[in-house]
Amino acid sequence: MARVEDTLHDRELRQAGAMGAAGTLRDEEITVSDFTTELSERIPGVEFELEPEQEMLTVNMGPHHPATHGVLRLVVDLEGEVVKDLKPVIGYVHTGIEKSCETMQYWKVIPFVERMDYLSYFFNMQAYVGAVEQLIGLEVPRRAQWLRVLHMELNRIHSHLVWLGTSALDLGAMGVYFYCFRDRDRVLDTFEMSTGQRMHTRYFQIGGVAEDIPAGFEQKVRKTVEQLKTGIHQYESLLDKNEIFLIRTKDVGVVSRERLVELGVTGPLLRAAGDPWDLRKEGEYLAYPELDFDVPVGTVGDGYDRYRVRLTEMKESLKIIEQILDGLPEGPWVADDRKYALPPRAELSTSMESLIHHFKLVTEGFRVEPGEVYNPVESPRGELGCFVMADGSSKPARVHFREPSFVNLQALADMTIGEYVADLIQTLAMLDPILGGIDR
Amino acid sequence: MSIRPDEIKVVPRGPEPGGMGGAYRAFGETLRGLRTTMGRLFEKPVTIQYPEEKTPVYPRFRGRHKLHKFEDSGLEKCVGCSLCAAACPAECIRVVAAENDPEDRVSGGERYAAVYEINLARCIFCGYCEIACPFDAITMGHDYEMADYNRSDLIFTKEMLLAEPIDRTPLRGEGE
Ligand code: SF4
Ligand code: SF4
Repeated sequence: MARVEDTLHDRELRQAGAMGAAGTLRDEEITVSDFTTELSERIPGVEFELEPEQEMLTVNMGPHHPATHGVLRLVVDLEGEVVKDLKPVIGYVHTGIEKSCETMQYWKVIPFVERMDYLSYFFNMQAYVGAVEQLIGLEVPRRAQWLRVLHMELNRIHSHLVWLGTSALDLGAMGVYFYCFRDRDRVLDTFEMSTGQRMHTRYFQIGGVAEDIPAGFEQKVRKTVEQLKTGIHQYESLLDKNEIFLIRTKDVGVVSRERLVELGVTGPLLRAAGDPWDLRKEGEYLAYPELDFDVPVGTVGDGYDRYRVRLTEMKESLKIIEQILDGLPEGPWVADDRKYALPPRAELSTSMESLIHHFKLVTEGFRVEPGEVYNPVESPRGELGCFVMADGSSKPARVHFREPSFVNLQALADMTIGEYVADLIQTLAMLDPILGGIDR
Repeated sequence: MSIRPDEIKVVPRGPEPGGMGGAYRAFGETLRGLRTTMGRLFEKPVTIQYPEEKTPVYPRFRGRHKLHKFEDSGLEKCVGCSLCAAACPAECIRVVAAENDPEDRVSGGERYAAVYEINLARCIFCGYCEIACPFDAITMGHDYEMADYNRSDLIFTKEMLLAEPIDRTPLRGEGE
């Protein structure tokens, strides 16, 4: 067999040499069968079988491809139309946010971490802020907890809407995309009203939230909830029983629950496979134990289950939001601990002590005793954990995030190998990766 | 605490594609979908004819910064304490302070900002400068149209920040 390989190698070299010398000069096209015939002529009595990888085609999908939902490159080995191997290549939008956090005081890190996974900024903040609060042992007032949950659930809906719109667009459902973005804008309007910014709001601060909600906010959110209910009904009527959607999503990209757990996949992907793992129930952070909501799970774990689970999650989030609006407790919205939280503005002009605290917090920040904390929250894409290590100074020694998109992306090869390349697009969309979060 | 069994909600599977049902759905469900989309014909459009119409913002909206003067004396509120520069996570504020001349005062305090620049190309509109300023000298305005052809034009000086914006951004009223 060694001889055969040598001959092949020689031939390749000769071809390459000819091409290199004359630029465009090239032997006439040689197919695999030509080559087998030639070999059996030269060495009579021996059968030659060439490796099937001669037929493989390696394609780069991305990094600039509308269907990758970001700057993701997939190196796909195709045999005909069937995916044989897949390697995601990431790092195109690496921003070094985790490292930058080490050069910032604790409160200045908040606007940074928001910008990692740009569709779940409230969750990024909660993961980080919660970790710091655990490090310094600060109790968050009840009203702040409820306000945080309110914004996080609105954020979950917003994130799922972007996911639904873009994924439906990948399957050719243009109308759903417009409806989703119409409703997403309404959610962003509520953020603008309460926090001052539509995205990247820096609303959560250490010890609570930055400001109380403005007057009229409750009516605004109630109206948005009603509009979202109509909206969700519209997406359902367009997609739930649509034959094309059913054919494209059913029994595509199935991975067993055990394998998903092995890979560390969390969030709607794991729940669609039938595992009711939800940190809002298991982790008991903020006001979640007091609220009543269900965890939707699927049965098969294909694209259709993932769609249904996320849609039901949106409805459950609406349920949570309504409960919060009904039972929002009164009280302070930020902890009254001058060591960590800024004093109220009105006191600055009257109290010298407050002014000094303010000065010190803004310029130096506060110091945190050495220690480390891992604080996980349930983001729209799964377990988003923040690890903060303090070394006694006013800046964190290390901030690290366990990003759900990053971990979930590992399952893509398992989901798509052996499927058609068209289903790869669909499976990737249903995976809901956010590249800002993957690369950080 | 872990999840109670009655809190788990199994989502419906929907119909299996293909077969007779598939043939029906290819027409019936498509028509039903068309009803949903056609129904939107009679709704008010949600789009705004930007730039002819400006998107209104809420009172809390954080747009381009403004520096303020005292209304009665006309003196600048900023005393050049650099707290805003210290608070800025994007490091885009530059303040150089100078002593006030008692004959010709610029600001209300002892010192004033001889140079005050914000590089809006770097600014992330977090509003920390507004929070940090103890004298309410800088606030976040409502302007959001800041695009320009040159990066250097995005460095706003004290005079530009003190001036009133040319176009006022419309504010949203209650209940909008
Ligand atoms: S808004 Fe934030 S980034 Fe912009 S100048 Fe103020 S502190 Fe700096
Ligand atoms: S704007 Fe405010 S914080 Fe900044 S230098 Fe002037 S007075 Fe100080």
